[in-house]
Amino acid sequence: MKKKYAKLSFIMLLALSLVLSACGSKAKEEASTGTTNSGGTDKPAETKTIHIFQFKVEISEALNKMKEEYEKEHPGIKLDIQTVGGGSDYGAALKAKFASGEEPDIFNIQGYAEMDTWIDKLEDLSDQPWVNDVIDVAKEPMTKDGKLYGQPMNLEGYGFVYNKDLFAKAGITKLPTTLSELTAAAQKLQDAGITPFANGYQEFWILGIHNLNIAFAQQPDPNAFIKGLNDGTAKISDNPVFKDWANLLDLTLKYGNKNPLTTDYNTEVTMFANGQAAMTQQGNWIQGQIDGINKNLNVGILPMPINDNPDQDRLAVGVPNNWVVNKNSPVKAEAKEFLNWLVTSETGKKYIAKEFKFIPAFKSITATADDIGPLGAEVVKYSQAGKTLSWNWAKYPDGATNEFGNIMQSYVAGKSDKQKMFEDFEKTWNNLKK
Amino acid sequence: MEITKKYRAGTLVTEIIVALVGLIFLVPFYFLFVNSVKSFGDILTNSASFPVSFEWSNYSKAWEATKFPAAFWNSLIITVVSNLLLALMSAMAAYRMVRHNTRFNAVLFTMFVAAMVIPFQSVMIPLVKVMKVVTDTLGITDSRIALIICYLGFGIPMTVFLFHGFIKSIPLEIEEAATVDGSNSYGVFFRIVLPLMKPMIVTVIILNTLWIWNDYLLPSLILQGADTRTIPLATSAFFGQYTKQWDLALAALVLGILPVIIFFLSMQKYIIEGITQGAVKG
Amino acid sequence: MNRKKTSQLLQQLVFVGPSTVFFILIIMIPFLLGLSFSFTNWDGVADKVAWVGLDNFKKIFMDDPDFGAAFWFTTKFTVIGVILTNVLGFFLAYFLTKPLKTRNILRTVFFIPNVIGGLLLGFIWQFIFVKGFAAIGEFTKLPFFNLPWLGDEKTAFWGIVIVFVWQTAGYLMVIYISSLGNVPQDILEAAEIDGANRLQILRSIIVPLIMPAVTVCLFLAISWSFKMFDLNLSLTKGGPFGSTESVAFNIYKEAFQNNRYGLGTAKAIIFFVVVAVITSVQVKFTKSKEVEA
Repeated sequence: MKKKYAKLSFIMLLALSLVLSACGSKAKEEASTGTTNSGGTDKPAETKTIHIFQFKVEISEALNKMKEEYEKEHPGIKLDIQTVGGGSDYGAALKAKFASGEEPDIFNIQGYAEMDTWIDKLEDLSDQPWVNDVIDVAKEPMTKDGKLYGQPMNLEGYGFVYNKDLFAKAGITKLPTTLSELTAAAQKLQDAGITPFANGYQEFWILGIHNLNIAFAQQPDPNAFIKGLNDGTAKISDNPVFKDWANLLDLTLKYGNKNPLTTDYNTEVTMFANGQAAMTQQGNWIQGQIDGINKNLNVGILPMPINDNPDQDRLAVGVPNNWVVNKNSPVKAEAKEFLNWLVTSETGKKYIAKEFKFIPAFKSITATADDIGPLGAEVVKYSQAGKTLSWNWAKYPDGATNEFGNIMQSYVAGKSDKQKMFEDFEKTWNNLKK
Repeated sequence: MEITKKYRAGTLVTEIIVALVGLIFLVPFYFLFVNSVKSFGDILTNSASFPVSFEWSNYSKAWEATKFPAAFWNSLIITVVSNLLLALMSAMAAYRMVRHNTRFNAVLFTMFVAAMVIPFQSVMIPLVKVMKVVTDTLGITDSRIALIICYLGFGIPMTVFLFHGFIKSIPLEIEEAATVDGSNSYGVFFRIVLPLMKPMIVTVIILNTLWIWNDYLLPSLILQGADTRTIPLATSAFFGQYTKQWDLALAALVLGILPVIIFFLSMQKYIIEGITQGAVKG
Repeated sequence: MNRKKTSQLLQQLVFVGPSTVFFILIIMIPFLLGLSFSFTNWDGVADKVAWVGLDNFKKIFMDDPDFGAAFWFTTKFTVIGVILTNVLGFFLAYFLTKPLKTRNILRTVFFIPNVIGGLLLGFIWQFIFVKGFAAIGEFTKLPFFNLPWLGDEKTAFWGIVIVFVWQTAGYLMVIYISSLGNVPQDILEAAEIDGANRLQILRSIIVPLIMPAVTVCLFLAISWSFKMFDLNLSLTKGGPFGSTESVAFNIYKEAFQNNRYGLGTAKAIIFFVVVAVITSVQVKFTKSKEVEA
């Protein structure tokens, strides 16, 4: 019995020493955070660390490569980049970060309603040298009272991604830009034995974020409409644009794959990339996934027309996310300098276009089709021609997109009709608005 | 507790049925392993089939991208230390609570049990605030130690609960005999009770290991800095906003669960030993 | 006498002290802090927090059908999930304490689903339901696999139940096995000699003797299924059309997506009280059935 006791205490001792040795090596690194120096080592006396907390896992590897170059160019500055994976919610992790007092110096927010939530923590960036280079529409999400609070990360655009070869096979010569033309094209595809649409409607965001946005973006003045919803002067249930938009949704369902509600994002994109469907409502971000399945797929993006007006040939283009600086950061100046470097230095620009494969939100940065792929190039073409629709979901009340997705799934499943769907949208809006 | 050790015809039928159910239980692992050696396109297009060509490079890529040795070390140290401290502290507390069922201890035990039903999401924000104060006061700079402290707190109710039930089944006479022989409570506990609790200790360690090894949310809140990442945190880096890199994620997942499976298989012997021991004593 | 008191106090401190300290620090204090948030309108970020009294609770009871729906879903899920996982866990344990040739391997097999953590588990199963089932369905033509898995209320509900049972049955099996190991051999032998059949032995001897394990297993299963979150988040995200939203997921959404942290914690408090009441009733009930061996 005594032997066992001795064994146990030995294990405990071992464990304890493991921890202590681990702390020892860690403590040194910790000491270099903030403005303290790390004593006996040969580092420069002032080492400042910029803590970056970001959510885009797609670029985390490239960011780490860039970090090394930046640190080489800027002795005395260290970047600590933490990426939150898609396994959880970035917003919750960010709030926890702030609650724990480990506030990051640079982080991501979407703009509009989210900017209002975080405004207490945001540094005004209006005086930064890069501000004039930002494409005008990309400023809007982070502008409040004439001040700019964030640097747009990139641009993204979406519509109906289509397979050019299948379109040719079905004998479609003119690209559809109105609802009637799109219906005719879908019919032709179906007659040729091709599924026109791959619908991944299991994902709430394909419906509640991207699809529904078209109804908001096609309003004569989306911002006024949203303001009207907030103060009760506008209604969804009697809005003509919503009625038109619902016809487009019906069209995708009529000519879509079976079981859209069991089809998730991966399945949807795979169906499309394998040539099992001719169109899918997605954006330039699926390029990498398409390349992984079928490298030679000949693709483009079509607009999402909701009626036969001549102005329907537009893609929804917007800023998915922004870099912001924490107002209370001890290394505010260094953080701003880093963001400036990111969009003005040759190295930074190169990373944005070639490594992150972003569609730049800056006039001063160019990306070629080789960098950003054919889908990205289409988005650039449309946005340079000014043929764009706005992104509006970040202006909705917090949490509304999820509910909208649910309501639309209900409609897709045949559990409600159009009128009920519109009324449910309105109810959700009124319940969640501040 | 076998009634007879004989292997009858009925036993064979039972064996076949249970084995079939076991096979069904393994189906997800088939998907996991088979798809972990396919290319990304293959995973999405032929997910159920056997791999045409084996992409072992998924593993080396996942190994590098997750910085596996470092992540493994972090997971290991956090799991081992939390486990040992949890088992010891909880065994002691449960023993005292059973043998000295004072009003205070009864209330405390009720609170432990009640705490088991608290949804984690409702304490997570206040928790990180509290941890900030704790780490500042104690001068803890390594967030891995902070995480261990959290696991001790969250693990105690459940672990005490399991020990509590077990200790009640240990006959009091054994301890009384030892007390008569002149042992004090500490001696009785460490020399008599703790060894008797071995089966439950093994069970508790297995259960806590699985929980801690796989936990995602708590480490994602507490751990600071890329070099403290545990395996689940490192693996989650393959799940992007839109794109899930299944090829690397599945390989990383296999790498992450292999140590636990090995651990479990090696502990298996002790569980059975513990159980038979318990049967003799019971 | 006094010395004995001091020694008792010291023992209490040494044995129970450390656990209590960690418990208070990590669970009690954050829980009470959370409680105080439930009377505010805090959004989780802003510097300003306003006291709103009982408004949050009023809103939950008067004007939140989704929370009610989540409660109903969770209750249904709990009843079915708890029964299935306990029945399966017990019978696996029962058969695996028989002298099967493969019992050690099988014990491992049934337990092994626990080695995958909640979030990743959901991702894998989503993959299986969507991709794997479709492939099996094509091959076997069995209608079961050709259902629209996760795509309608029923399949989404049963999808979650299947994964829950798949994962937790093995865990409960371990507890049942260690409890079955404590059933004295001589009683069983005596019963067999007396001519009792298997079913009688199972019902009249084994089940009463392992009631402590039943208490534990029921309690664990109820508390897990009520608190189910990871699985919900990664498997269905509450969909389709919000039909599989668990209470924990609803609370999480309220606090972190709708940015109404105060309201979210108020919901959490109500939820805690309900679960605490249900589990204590259950523990009381099964404890009353426990007998001494």
